[in-house]
Amino acid sequence: MDNETASHSALIACLLEMGELLLNCGAEISRIEDTLQRLGRAYGAERMDVFVIPSLISVTLSFPGNEAVTETRRIRSSGGNDFYRLEKLNDLSRRCCAAPLPIDGLRAALDGIAAGKKPRSVVYLGSVLAAGSFAVFFGGTLWDGLAAGAFALLICALQEKLGQTALNTVAFNLVISLLTGLAVGLLTMALPLLHMDMILIGDIMLLIPGIAMTNAVRNILVGDTISGAVRLAESLIWALALAGGFMVAMLALDLAG
Amino acid sequence: MKGIIIQLLTAFLGSLGFSLLFGLRKRHLFAASLGGLLVWGLYLLAEYYVHSIFLANLLASAFAVVYAEILARRLKCPATLFVLPGIVPLVPGGSLYYAMSHAVRRELEDASLYGTATLTKALAIAAGISLVLAVRELHTRR
Repeated sequence: MDNETASHSALIACLLEMGELLLNCGAEISRIEDTLQRLGRAYGAERMDVFVIPSLISVTLSFPGNEAVTETRRIRSSGGNDFYRLEKLNDLSRRCCAAPLPIDGLRAALDGIAAGKKPRSVVYLGSVLAAGSFAVFFGGTLWDGLAAGAFALLICALQEKLGQTALNTVAFNLVISLLTGLAVGLLTMALPLLHMDMILIGDIMLLIPGIAMTNAVRNILVGDTISGAVRLAESLIWALALAGGFMVAMLALDLAG
Repeated sequence: MKGIIIQLLTAFLGSLGFSLLFGLRKRHLFAASLGGLLVWGLYLLAEYYVHSIFLANLLASAFAVVYAEILARRLKCPATLFVLPGIVPLVPGGSLYYAMSHAVRRELEDASLYGTATLTKALAIAAGISLVLAVRELHTRR
């Protein structure tokens, strides 16, 4: 393998890595395709063919002199939002398009960003604040807000524990909503001062794929039909799973009470 | 009036919570949370004047994108960072919950009423966002 070919394959590996990281941080599909195209051109490609859907990235770089490299990457988990890394990736691609880093440098920068996830404590704090605020926002009392915040901790802990298992997203949402529904229902039975609906609405805001669904419809309306359709179907199925879990919990509580 | 102030305040805090949850950097937190408050304020005004949940959601989410695009251009970062916290107060968690709880109690008429409201709101939010993006794309060349 000569030097040029080696650097081309190192470059395409970097582009795929960049694409996968962007997908996992919640970047929009059209933005990812655009970023990879610009980067490829900045590194000397004459023509870039990039295709991204939530489960696959395919990149072809064509260099002057009829040389082209193509690679694809299967994406196992996509979705989720990590603005911390998204912003760093955005900075990196901006810098590289202006003045391309050496490929080793790009690789090192990507590895650095991949390793630096958003801190867990901030995720917990954010979930508590969001669930508590929305319980009050939708008409709950301060006590409902505090309770919703406390159950947000339970949801975060469950998400972390179950996230390490091989459970698929549908089953995952079903289990989480069932357990949360039961826990909230039992507490409100014991403490009639609390309103079950308000607490659950606050916690549902953390779980419903509202953002995912909006993004999906947005993808469809801006022309990324395949990605949009895939994500819409996914988020509808997740929403059904959530609803299923809560409904089983409510039925069980109705029977018990 | 007191209810409105509580809603605006909790919209701010709720957006702040989601900004933290999404890992937004400290220096953007205030602007992103303020977006949530402004979006909800605009929603309340729009609902009061046009009496349409669909239009009010559409206007509010369109505003969220304009607000986010302006900030993104100033701060040189992706607009998504401010779009998502901004539209969070519009996400129809309440109607989804009531659709489910009526469905469980076999009150199908109410369930479908809330179910339709949930979908209407989701569609309106997405339409508002796409509308602004389409206008923006009209002004950029390939």
